[in-house]
Amino acid sequence: MISPELKKVILSELDLDDFDLQDTTIAPEVPGWDSLNHVNIILAVEKFFNVKFKSYEVLRLKNVGDLQTLVNSKTGK
Amino acid sequence: MFSSFSIEKIFSLLKYDQNDPLIFSTSLFLILFFVFLVFYNLLGKNKNARIFLLIVFSFYFYYKSAGVYFLVPIASAVVNFYIGKWISANEKFLYKRLLLFLALVVNIALLGYFKYTNFILQIIGDISGGQVTPLAIFLPIGISFYTFKALNYIFDIYYDTLKPSASLRDFSLYIFFFPNILMGPIDRAADFLPQIEREPFISKEDIGRAVFLISLGLIKKVVIADYIGLNFVDRIFDFPLRYTGVENLLAVYGYILQIYCDFSGYTDMAIGVALLTGFKLMDNFNYPFKATSIADFWRRWHISLSKWLLDYLFKPVQISSRGLKIFGNVLALVVTFFVCGLWHGAGWNFILWGVFHGTLMSISLFFKKPKERLYKFLKIHDTKFLKFLQTVITFHLVAVSFLIFRSHEMQNVTDTLSQIFNFFHAEVFVQFAEKLPLILGLITVGYFFHFMPASLGQRIQKIITSMPLPAKVLFLVIVIWLAAQFKSADIQPFIYFQF
Repeated sequence: MISPELKKVILSELDLDDFDLQDTTIAPEVPGWDSLNHVNIILAVEKFFNVKFKSYEVLRLKNVGDLQTLVNSKTGK
Repeated sequence: MFSSFSIEKIFSLLKYDQNDPLIFSTSLFLILFFVFLVFYNLLGKNKNARIFLLIVFSFYFYYKSAGVYFLVPIASAVVNFYIGKWISANEKFLYKRLLLFLALVVNIALLGYFKYTNFILQIIGDISGGQVTPLAIFLPIGISFYTFKALNYIFDIYYDTLKPSASLRDFSLYIFFFPNILMGPIDRAADFLPQIEREPFISKEDIGRAVFLISLGLIKKVVIADYIGLNFVDRIFDFPLRYTGVENLLAVYGYILQIYCDFSGYTDMAIGVALLTGFKLMDNFNYPFKATSIADFWRRWHISLSKWLLDYLFKPVQISSRGLKIFGNVLALVVTFFVCGLWHGAGWNFILWGVFHGTLMSISLFFKKPKERLYKFLKIHDTKFLKFLQTVITFHLVAVSFLIFRSHEMQNVTDTLSQIFNFFHAEVFVQFAEKLPLILGLITVGYFFHFMPASLGQRIQKIITSMPLPAKVLFLVIVIWLAAQFKSADIQPFIYFQF
């Protein structure tokens, strides 16, 4: 389940009004989330949740659900 | 006497010949593959025997092109299999990292020794001003492809997104699989390994698609690429100053069509041949000249390599340098395309070609927002006109890049461009069309079908699928016959136009 906060950060970084982000959603399915923009989303998520990811942790993410799990593990949820 | 002579002849035909690799468009491959398919299907129920036959045929296929150097991919398979196992078995992250580093060193050293030693020696010679004699190093065919296949297996295990293969036999088949060992697609272990365990199921659609792809590949490779390359492109590029700008321009258009048809034709055949053995390989090309930007081009050209570079090189550099913001992306682009160029060959032309693409993509990063604003101001945003304009510009940038790719000396690039811009002579086109109608026809047909909607290919594929099996075979035989006509045709006389 994607939290409203994570959804808000991602959609605002991509300038999207709304998009149905699910656990299984992968980046190419989301308009504007390309390989060049990917880093901006990661930076925005780190900034919003005030966390720091290791490169290894980011590189093994497969979908938005994995990103949510990573954020949860860093914020202690 | 007759029989010993025949056996000797057959033996010499079947043994390793460096100048006669067993590529799909040769009649020897087609005959051997047919015999292989008969036995492969007879063994259908016995999985172990089937895999054994597939490995033996793959070993032979590689031996035919590389001789004793078939030991190189065997060594690669064994080393990577065990390193993969150790990475997965180790709990400590530091050890995993060290093992990944070890795998990178071993694989890059293997590739580096065979492919880049002489290039490095040449650079050392150029810097020191001395003469360095190149070493007699044999380049095992396909080494860049299977090394990258082995590495994606290692990376995925390191990232813990793939469990290591339990069987050295299965992993060796992944490395050696004959349809993609010479020229890709650089398939993912995660997609390929599970297919070995499955019962091979070849549906009617698979056979239709295989016949379609093998036919399309043969036409692209033999009828278009080989023919226009030998009879037109090579001759112009050998002496660009002897020809007008219009001929040079046609040679540039001909060359990128040739390289596309050559490479994509070969991988079409690889995917088709693999389908007939019950394996699905990843797509490798998606109408690359329809791209509306260089980034889009790389989503459509040699997809298995560009996805590999994206996942295992671009992203790690990008993420680890994310503190640099947009410059992190620039760094990742330049590094990735430098390696992309070097991967294609040990030469400055390949490196320049890669850096050219990396630079274009980096520049477009900085202009992304101003461009959007300009399009909106001109009211051409999201219009067909803009798409057309972007396609034309991208196509010509790609064309220039491939002119660099082909030229071992920069002088050839400047000569070709100077003829196009300073000595065009458009009227020569009429003479060209009169004297070389087949060349012009093939180039036109090649581009025409490329720019048709993708649904056309799907429709042809459906028609082939709906044919009964004998009709499919007949269709394939006709295509092979057509390809043979072009292959055996004499080199066309080439008229040097005097002005």
